[in-house]
Amino acid sequence: MSGPGLYVALVAFGVLAGVASGLLGVGGGTLMVPFLVFAVGLTQHGAEATSLLVILPTAIVGSLTLRRRGVGDLGVALRFGLVGALGAFAGAKLALALPASTLKIVFAVFVGLVGLKLAWDGVSGDARMRDERSHS
Amino acid sequence: MARVLDPKLLVIGLGGGLLSGLLGVGGGVIMVPLLVLWAAYGQRDAHAMSLGAIIPISIAGIATYGVAGQVHYLDALGLAAGAIVGAALGARLLTRIDERLLKIIFGLFLVGIAVLVGVRA
Repeated sequence: MSGPGLYVALVAFGVLAGVASGLLGVGGGTLMVPFLVFAVGLTQHGAEATSLLVILPTAIVGSLTLRRRGVGDLGVALRFGLVGALGAFAGAKLALALPASTLKIVFAVFVGLVGLKLAWDGVSGDARMRDERSHS
Repeated sequence: MARVLDPKLLVIGLGGGLLSGLLGVGGGVIMVPLLVLWAAYGQRDAHAMSLGAIIPISIAGIATYGVAGQVHYLDALGLAAGAIVGAALGARLLTRIDERLLKIIFGLFLVGIAVLVGVRA
């Protein structure tokens, strides 16, 4: 894809990935990385890097929306996220050191496991029951 | 919450960050379950905490990939424009939707994507 059509597709796919991540807490990167590789033609490394730049503003907007609703504690979240930043630096360095084909396989295994876990959560209904208890 | 962070949160943040940087995802997929099952947060609070932690985590990942010249800024701009609208919409729907069916459908969809990515690798 190229030209204006590419940007229409990017924005439209962004809405889809944003809704998925807002609803399920996953689906941002797991959807965007394959989309950027298959539809836009980026390399695996380029897609992962670009996905992270989309995740940042999405996380900011999502966090502010949830904070207005009094869900969670953004101050604590940002502080443990700072520790997480060290992990992200190491993870990105590791990814950059891996060949694209290896990284794709690791990514595929990850997405497959996420998919199975989500489907299993849906079938068992565990998350919803815990949620209702914690808010009762 | 005490001023000193729960060591469990530090471990969860590190693990989520590592996954995020390695795979270009938020890392919420391991942080949320760990926050619920290990750090005893409710599902909705865990979701919010994970989302907040992703802010510094993704900044570190972007900087690391950015130095290596891997970030495609215009593509990210297009996706982000849509994703910001979508995320706000999703967060609003979160309080009133039945998650079970959605999880099953989306989960199976992801398994399909995994097979596709694996085959192409």
